[in-house]
Amino acid sequence: MSNFALRLRRVRTIAWKELVDFVRDWRTLVAVIVIPLLIFPLLFFALPKILQMEAEERQANVLDIIIQGDSPDQDLFTLFDESLLNYSSESLPNGLDGDLSQPMGDDERLRNMEVSAILRLQHNQTNGTWNYAILRDSTQELSGEAFSRILEDLKLWESNLTNETLVANGLDPEDTLNPIRWSGDSDNADVASDAEQAGWALSLFIPMIVAMWTASSAIQPSIDMTAGERERGTMEAVLCLPVKRFDLLAGKWLAVATISGTGVILQVVGLLFAVQFITSSNSFLQMPALSTSAFLLLLAAVLLFTVMVVAFELALAVRSRSVKEAGSVLGPMIILIIFPALFAQFINLEGIEGFWFAIPVVNILLAMRELLTDRVISGHVLIWFGSSLVYALLAAWYASKQFNREDLVESIS
Amino acid sequence: MNTLSTLLTSSGVVKQFGEIRAVDGVNLSLKRGDIVGLVGGNGAGKTTMLRLLCGLYRPTEGGISFHSKSGENRPIHEIREKLGVVPESTGLYHRLTAWENIRYHSRLHGIDDDVAWNRTLRFANALSISDELHRHTRGFSRGMRQKTALLRALVHGPEILLLDEPTAGLDVTSARMVRELVRKLRDEGGTVIYSTHHLAEAQMVCDRIIIMHNGQIRCDGTPDELMAETNTGNLEDAYVALTSDVARTDSIEEKEGKMARIWRTLLTPSRHNKEVAEDE
Repeated sequence: MSNFALRLRRVRTIAWKELVDFVRDWRTLVAVIVIPLLIFPLLFFALPKILQMEAEERQANVLDIIIQGDSPDQDLFTLFDESLLNYSSESLPNGLDGDLSQPMGDDERLRNMEVSAILRLQHNQTNGTWNYAILRDSTQELSGEAFSRILEDLKLWESNLTNETLVANGLDPEDTLNPIRWSGDSDNADVASDAEQAGWALSLFIPMIVAMWTASSAIQPSIDMTAGERERGTMEAVLCLPVKRFDLLAGKWLAVATISGTGVILQVVGLLFAVQFITSSNSFLQMPALSTSAFLLLLAAVLLFTVMVVAFELALAVRSRSVKEAGSVLGPMIILIIFPALFAQFINLEGIEGFWFAIPVVNILLAMRELLTDRVISGHVLIWFGSSLVYALLAAWYASKQFNREDLVESIS
Repeated sequence: MNTLSTLLTSSGVVKQFGEIRAVDGVNLSLKRGDIVGLVGGNGAGKTTMLRLLCGLYRPTEGGISFHSKSGENRPIHEIREKLGVVPESTGLYHRLTAWENIRYHSRLHGIDDDVAWNRTLRFANALSISDELHRHTRGFSRGMRQKTALLRALVHGPEILLLDEPTAGLDVTSARMVRELVRKLRDEGGTVIYSTHHLAEAQMVCDRIIIMHNGQIRCDGTPDELMAETNTGNLEDAYVALTSDVARTDSIEEKEGKMARIWRTLLTPSRHNKEVAEDE
């Protein structure tokens, strides 16, 4: 066997052992497989479902309200009945002086939930208009619900009054209130195809997921395979073997990259599934329309980013002699990824300056956004590919330097 | 078999960590077929010496050379395939079985699985551990872990075996099995470096004993030679006579960065300050 083949075999052996060792911990399987796969479906299905159930429960409540002041016409009472608002009437408190929003002693009744809301109405006899105010406690859910229902009913009542006035004056309400109208189906006027729209929509999520999940999911395996090994004393036995330190790093890198790559893929699949479910499209996965070059460049971008992040995390983790020490270094490091990743989401891609594509982390995020909308701009590609390659090589060089440290053999135990 | 030829030489080896000379000018020559006991107290420099001998540390001064049977000399870190090492921590992966641990090392040595399995079975029978090879090592006793680590170190047929406290935590029967195995390896031409705290252990198994103290070799010879040199009647007295000066207390394992040292100093009340505060 040639020297190169032997080294490759060693790298594979190390990576395989690391994966087996890692996967045999059931907590790892949950963290790497189950959580990434479920996080978006849960976020997109379960959360709206729970919110909807809560809203329905709230809407089913009959809420007590008080109408103070002038009595409205029967239309509004009918609307209140339909909205499950149980009303009683009172006169307006004294001293309002034209400002209906002053609580004037009614606040206690709202705070104690004696009533959910108080509608104050004042009819202007000269021009026929109505002034109103709704007293409510915005920190109480039922009070908020009553406020929403009253507001909705008032809008409908207002609309009815407006229409009646227009008709009484010989005007067509539709023509008067809506003189400028869209002709046809507005969706048909969008020249972007469904797949292009999917690419654009996903470009708002996928780069963030790839960046954040790659960085965060690599932390635990990086620590376990370096500082963890030092702490448990297994590193010393491995370092005594005829294995080059760089091969050891490469094997561990491969294992961590596989773990975090699997997590990223599963998370993206979960996201696509969730998006698909929400948009109720016919195909199972709404894939963005990407050219082959855009797809290959997207893969290259993810790979370069993974090389850089995983190598950097391995380098930092291997410097630590215990899991605790490594955790306290790598935990805050995630901010270095999250901030630029968030920032990159708000940068306008139209007419963007080239230097953005040379900033670490930001460059890959922007590249992914551009490529997901199938835009392959050679100038940008050259900059992000070149700079990312340099960063990845620097991270690998730094990691290799750390793996050559003599004190790697030392353990806190 | 050339069992008396020189296998390893250490010339003026110094290993310095900051201000501390963990190993200080060690000259050593090991022959094929030797079982050499490396004996010393805590901080004597045994572990550092073992790490130098297996190429994990590079000497600050001097060098360690391996002499092949063909007469070629090579630095120790270039011949790791000829070494078998059992560190004190054993270094086993708990989520792997005993055999998977052994196979991992054998594959990294470039040994075929079949060959590795046959070798493992041979030594596992000698250590009465063959029924446990497919068990996860998580539940292993200290003795079982030591035996597994020993099998792992032997799987590639090393010329030199370095053992750090190999019988620590083993019951009497298991410790005897390990000692018998070590002697058997010696009879087959292997060389064993056996680091231990226990003189009695060293006396039972080693042909030659090296006593280390404060990073230096204080004596190197057979048990009888050590006793003769110190005019004592037993090894324990000989050891005490050779290491009667105060042992250093600096720990070479507690190296830390500048920032960590400053931070620790700031947050650790010194005894002096405490006393002043109490006086006030």
